[in-house]
Amino acid sequence: MESDIYLVGLNHRTAGVDVRERFALADHCDQEHWALPCEGGIHESIILSTCNRVELLATGQGDVAGQMLNCWANARGAGIEDLQPYIYIHKSLEAVRHIFSVASSLDSMVLGESQILGQLKTAYRKAVACRATGVILNRLLHKAFFVAKRVRTETAVASNAVSISYAAVELAKRIFGDMHAHKVLLVGAGEMAELAAAHLLQNGIDEIFVANRTFSRGQQLAEQFHGHAVPFDKLTELLTTVDIIITSTGAAAPVIRARDIRAVLKTRKNRPMFFIDIAVPRDIDPDVNALDNVYLYDIDDLKEIVEENLANRRDEANKAKKIVNEEVNFFAKWLTGLDAQPTIVALIQRGEQIAQEEISRTLRRIGDHDPKHRAALEAMAGALARKFNHDPIMFLKRGSMSQEGSSARISMIREIFNIDNISV
Amino acid sequence: MISPECATLPTLLLCSVSSIAGIVGMLARSVFLRRLGVWLAVAVFISQSLMLMLGFHKALPGGLSLGAYLQLFAWFVLLCGLIVWRKIKQETPLLFAAPLCLMLFAMSMSFLDAAVPLPASLKVPFYALHIGALFLSLGLLAIAFFAALLFLFLEGRIKSKQRTQGFWQDMPAIVLLDKTNALTVLTAFPLYTLGIVSGLLWAKPVFGASMTGDPKEVVSVVIWLIFAVLFHNRLVNNWKGRKPARFVVLIFLLCLFSIVVVNTVMNTNHAFLRG
Repeated sequence: MESDIYLVGLNHRTAGVDVRERFALADHCDQEHWALPCEGGIHESIILSTCNRVELLATGQGDVAGQMLNCWANARGAGIEDLQPYIYIHKSLEAVRHIFSVASSLDSMVLGESQILGQLKTAYRKAVACRATGVILNRLLHKAFFVAKRVRTETAVASNAVSISYAAVELAKRIFGDMHAHKVLLVGAGEMAELAAAHLLQNGIDEIFVANRTFSRGQQLAEQFHGHAVPFDKLTELLTTVDIIITSTGAAAPVIRARDIRAVLKTRKNRPMFFIDIAVPRDIDPDVNALDNVYLYDIDDLKEIVEENLANRRDEANKAKKIVNEEVNFFAKWLTGLDAQPTIVALIQRGEQIAQEEISRTLRRIGDHDPKHRAALEAMAGALARKFNHDPIMFLKRGSMSQEGSSARISMIREIFNIDNISV
Repeated sequence: MISPECATLPTLLLCSVSSIAGIVGMLARSVFLRRLGVWLAVAVFISQSLMLMLGFHKALPGGLSLGAYLQLFAWFVLLCGLIVWRKIKQETPLLFAAPLCLMLFAMSMSFLDAAVPLPASLKVPFYALHIGALFLSLGLLAIAFFAALLFLFLEGRIKSKQRTQGFWQDMPAIVLLDKTNALTVLTAFPLYTLGIVSGLLWAKPVFGASMTGDPKEVVSVVIWLIFAVLFHNRLVNNWKGRKPARFVVLIFLLCLFSIVVVNTVMNTNHAFLRG
């Protein structure tokens, strides 16, 4: 292969956040952070720089990896030796496999998260805008996007919530369906409860109420969510109107008990209630879950769901890896086909050249001739050249399909037909 | 004119494809197949309606056969599935209604000839009130039954903190299933009552008395009583969730017993297999 694919990078597994920050490359086209000028051995390049990874993908000849590292270190005002302990280098099909895995979120910190695909698309767009990509990287990145789509549709690697707050929202949807026309009450002001409330708002919840022992803090939080602050002692009264209750107070004893809810249910005509208790110690009496039309999930229940979902994603990742391997093989065939292409073109040109030379010689010998005869001769010579080239071309194409021995077949054909014009 | 003989096979075929598309669509989580199942169910309903309007009645010169009874029931089940689909914007009850319709339709094929003779004077009101009201009520109960079973399964999993996986994740939210239950029960009970009362009224001229101790009458009254408890509590005591779901399951199973066992095995004035 004349030009090969290289990938150098570091990620959340190989480097801590301080190192990732130090070697982050902000923007491919930013002159100050110009990391990979397409010169020397490098033909094409893309830089992917996110909070969890910095990766440089390039095609080129010679010591491409060394050149990439050098550019990268220089751009960040460091030496290669500073980078060395944290990096990984992949070449050829390993680089292809890696980029497919990254696009499919199989290499992400949170397996199956969708953000990385968007980041990779942005990185590719920037590289295209800088004219830093060519035939191979264009094809590779488009293929990576296709693989990511296949993985998402054919496996469940991206399904189900893997964070406590999302798990709570998913459960709320299973109970209430459409989130519109439902009201949320935040009791206390824990960080995770706020996150869950924010997700519920994103999902179209109608109204948010905040009840906090410190009313001013409650007001502050209510403003943040465009909701209403209510005095803590009005809690039971409010329970008759809200449907989802998220609690995270620091109270030592439960603030909501089953006996309170029995009366509340009667007032609210048994409309379902969903309690999410994120506090430790718990804010809600566990007996509440035994009541009809009341659902209670505490932090351990939600954690368990998240753990199960993560385990499920890990199982699905094995299916996804099979898809990635399949697509790597397809890409490898395309790459080797690319290797044989110059030789095929050279063979065809050589055949055409020989045909033209022989036609000219023959016509000189004939002397005066009819244009019809010239056309007939040209057609015959062209057909001969094409037929003569057919078998060697098929031989090369078979080589690219089988992959093994592809370069040996190319060398053999180049030698037999003396394509490189080596005088013997 | 479409005769029932030539319309039955295409309807049966459409119903089979609709049921398969709906079930496979649900299991494979394919939106396209589910939609296909829904629209084919609409086509089945149109085809069945044409059968009823243009030729079906001609197959019943001597009264109502078990086959005709089952085909009418299939039509009402699908009608109720369509009503719930349009009303609550949920396709799942309709996708359950299609296979039930197929089952009833397929079963009807063997019993189309066994007719119960009726006095000519009672044919029209009998169809319009007794059968119409009862079948619409049973169709609604069939939809409520599926919604209740789904509710009990999904609610049980949420309550016991077990995960729902695969195609279960695409099922409607439990609040919507309960809403389906409420809508169908509150509509079905008055219709069921109308059907029973009209039956009792017509029983007098036909059988000599309103209540003759006929097994069908007894079972129907028992069902009506349980149904009344559910209706009352839904309306007055705001029953929601598990309790009404369990009641619906019980009522529908009793209705099935009444149709399948009482009408065919027991000695009753409603028997369909008599010459």
